[in-house]
Amino acid sequence: MKKAYGLLKQTGVVLSLVVFVLVAAAPIAWLLLSSVLQQQALISTPPDLSLSSFTLENYTAVFGSAAQLGRGIFNSLVISIATTALAILLGAPAAYALARLDIRHADTILLMVLAAQMFPAIVIAIPLFITASKLGLIDTKINLILIYLSFNLPVVIWVLRGFFTGLPTGLERAARMDGATIYQTFRLVILPISLPPLFAAAIFAFIEAWNEFFFALIMTRQAAQTVPLVISAFAGQYQTVFGQMMAAAAISVAPIIILTIILRNSILRGFADGMLKG
Amino acid sequence: MPEIKLVNVGKSYGTINVCHDINLKIADREFVTLLGSSGCGKTTTLNMIGGLDEVTTGDILMDGRRVNDLEPIDRDVAMVFQNYALYPHMTVAQNIGFNLKLKGINAADIAARVSMVAASLDLSHLLERYPKQLSGGQQQRVAIGRAIVRQPKVFLFDEPFSNLDAALRNRMRGEVRELHNRLGVTSIFVTHDQEEALSISDRVALMNRGRIEQVGTPEEIYARPATRYVVSFIGSPQIELMQGTVEAADGGPSVRLGSVLVGLPEGKGRFRVGQKVEIGIRPEHVRLGKTGIPSTVRLVQSVGPSTQIILGWEGGTLIATVPGFVRLDPGSTVRVEIPPEHVLAFDQETGLRL
Amino acid sequence: MTSEGVTFSVPDAPLRSPSRRHGVTLVFLGPALTVLVLLLVYPVLSSIWLSLTNASLSAGRLETPFVWFDNYAALISDKAAHNALFNTLYFAVVEVVGVVVLGLLTALLLNHPMARWSGFRVLLLLPWAIAPVANAVLWKWIFHSNYGILNSLLVGSGVIEKNITWFGNSFVALNMVLLVDIWKSTPFIAILLLAALQNIPQSLYRAARIDGANGWQSFRYITLPLLKTAIAIAVILQTIWSLRTFDLIFILTKGGPADGTVVMNFLAYRVTFNFLEFGYGAAIANVIFMTSLMLAIIYVRLMKPGALT
Repeated sequence: MKKAYGLLKQTGVVLSLVVFVLVAAAPIAWLLLSSVLQQQALISTPPDLSLSSFTLENYTAVFGSAAQLGRGIFNSLVISIATTALAILLGAPAAYALARLDIRHADTILLMVLAAQMFPAIVIAIPLFITASKLGLIDTKINLILIYLSFNLPVVIWVLRGFFTGLPTGLERAARMDGATIYQTFRLVILPISLPPLFAAAIFAFIEAWNEFFFALIMTRQAAQTVPLVISAFAGQYQTVFGQMMAAAAISVAPIIILTIILRNSILRGFADGMLKG
Repeated sequence: MPEIKLVNVGKSYGTINVCHDINLKIADREFVTLLGSSGCGKTTTLNMIGGLDEVTTGDILMDGRRVNDLEPIDRDVAMVFQNYALYPHMTVAQNIGFNLKLKGINAADIAARVSMVAASLDLSHLLERYPKQLSGGQQQRVAIGRAIVRQPKVFLFDEPFSNLDAALRNRMRGEVRELHNRLGVTSIFVTHDQEEALSISDRVALMNRGRIEQVGTPEEIYARPATRYVVSFIGSPQIELMQGTVEAADGGPSVRLGSVLVGLPEGKGRFRVGQKVEIGIRPEHVRLGKTGIPSTVRLVQSVGPSTQIILGWEGGTLIATVPGFVRLDPGSTVRVEIPPEHVLAFDQETGLRL
Repeated sequence: MTSEGVTFSVPDAPLRSPSRRHGVTLVFLGPALTVLVLLLVYPVLSSIWLSLTNASLSAGRLETPFVWFDNYAALISDKAAHNALFNTLYFAVVEVVGVVVLGLLTALLLNHPMARWSGFRVLLLLPWAIAPVANAVLWKWIFHSNYGILNSLLVGSGVIEKNITWFGNSFVALNMVLLVDIWKSTPFIAILLLAALQNIPQSLYRAARIDGANGWQSFRYITLPLLKTAIAIAVILQTIWSLRTFDLIFILTKGGPADGTVVMNFLAYRVTFNFLEFGYGAAIANVIFMTSLMLAIIYVRLMKPGALT
């Protein structure tokens, strides 16, 4: 009897895992699948998945269209990489200072850092939009690069601070004994051993910048359009070629999926550093 | 080489006082150990000497100069840390040479000095390895090498052997003492292991709850402990203390424990009749024989060169250490002699030795 | 430039005398702090000020006639705002319950010895990683009335007879948006709860088994109590995030049908960037900000060190 119950539980687990895999992966799989299927195949019920239905015409159409996907990709890349680099450059020393240099109002600063990752963009978007308009920065890449720091910088600081707080102080004391200044300690001892969490923080910052929609929506017109905006253009009311819609989405999604799979350990580690160490 | 003096040194974190009234003089080339259980303030004191912790009250003087505000590097001290604190991303050679690099010494000189130090510590074949590829003992030697290469005026050791197994610990102790003898540099050593302290130090400072209980040579601390705390802390096995009242004070002083009278060491005016005291005797001074106080054998433990016998008697428990293998049945009665000249007596109230 | 007061209070902090530390703190923290103040503090303050005006932007010039608290008064009586508030509350509550329950179930599942394969965790990360816009577009396609795969499957397997117009009815549309957002938000919470689960020592379960507890009892008397803090944190976090949903609504429904999917966040956007009422929009944004801030403070209280271990 016990054995049958055990077997039942095992089957239950297996079934649940199957359901889990389907629920998690099927939609994304369908996205990718749809992007390489002909319109005819997609609108027939059920969708025609025979080999002859597969095509790359959706992608060629999307790239050739007036929506300027190529420019969008370029903009997204430049913006994401630049803002990530800036966030790391500014955030790493700040995180170290907050973790190790007794700062009087550290709690308030950390609350600000935390809150910044939490509230919706609209909270700061209106004044920033007005300022950007006055400075003539609307529809520029530099505008987004800087504005994205509003959420990237806090993430980097949060993750790295979690990591730095967890480091045993022995190394810094040894370095101090060896005569290192705080700058030298940070540069020669702390940074080299911080590569994994630095990497994780960079991945988070990059993904969030790559995926960002709201600021891109209100702050760009033509020249600085990013991939999310192009995707949005392909999802308009009058869009009827669904494969193209999916192809545009796939351009954004596919690199991220590959990145996530390859860097899964870093990402999970970044979660640990950022999330589980208050 | 400096003489180090701590004058009324104290350390507090806000309202929490960690050390107070620390007065200590360490002579040039001396090997002094700060001994005590955890929380007694020994590591804090070491850190203050080294410059890693700020001194709240009092002064630290090196060669007459007040160094309270000097950075460790400016005090010319080097430290060997409890967990080695080796830089994991640097090779052994880079670890040892790091402080030289920070000073701006050129690469060739660094390499020369590093290889010299490595040779003296038997690390030459490990120079290109990373810390995680080394054994505990090797890592410890790298940590020592890092300290030596700076040719500092003072070595500070912060419980460097607590992570090593017993056999290795014994060997490393000897190596550190040999190193000290060879280099002739003042060394200040922190440990909680009293055996370790007694075996390698010129002098031991036993600390308790933030203050120094006694400073003295190992022999002084062992044979002439200043307080009850010292006699309990020093010596293995731990001494058994028994409480009683002084019966006779002069000319054959004795103390009454229950129905038994135990003789006390001679000395004018040392004891008062009626004084409440605690007495103990080191196990090696207890004699088993035909005469003396009757006691019951509780446990017999032989370790080879000697046998430890735990005895119960009217006054409490006694431990006797006798040479060689001795067989005694638990429960049997033997007579024990407590020679008065070896009795250590302490006033019950003050804890001071009388 | 103010120099932060630096105090020496941490035992074995490896740092130097206060005078030397001021300069270092400035260099290390200064730049980041400046950026944060410019990008966060200034806009929030500015938004408060804006909400007290009837601001309008024309030809790059900002006109800000003062109207004091008129915007907030309008907010209280605005039917559209009530609607948005109701939708937001409904959305938040349902999403939090959905995400936390599903997240817990997923975490329990993945904590099972049979689920050790790292691929499961990767699968969990995928919904989290993809762009919300791409996600929205995908589900727009899946939910397409005529050609979407969902209708195909349902009709094809006989569950329903005719295609359903998923976004035709206000209430149904809101729930469909919820469904998608729950799908996207569950992974993060699942990872959080999974980490907390893995911090529970196996020895406790073994001891319980010897005491005769079955699976359910183990869960009730060991797992749940030890997960209390993690679940509380999950609830707060998810509540905060449910206020951020925008991309999904923009792509799927644009707030419709009949404003059925307008939430506070979306309302603020529409008011500001479609109707160009900057002051009023700022007022709505401020309300959202205060709510998020209060929730963030609760989060900080919960996240005392070691809360999740």
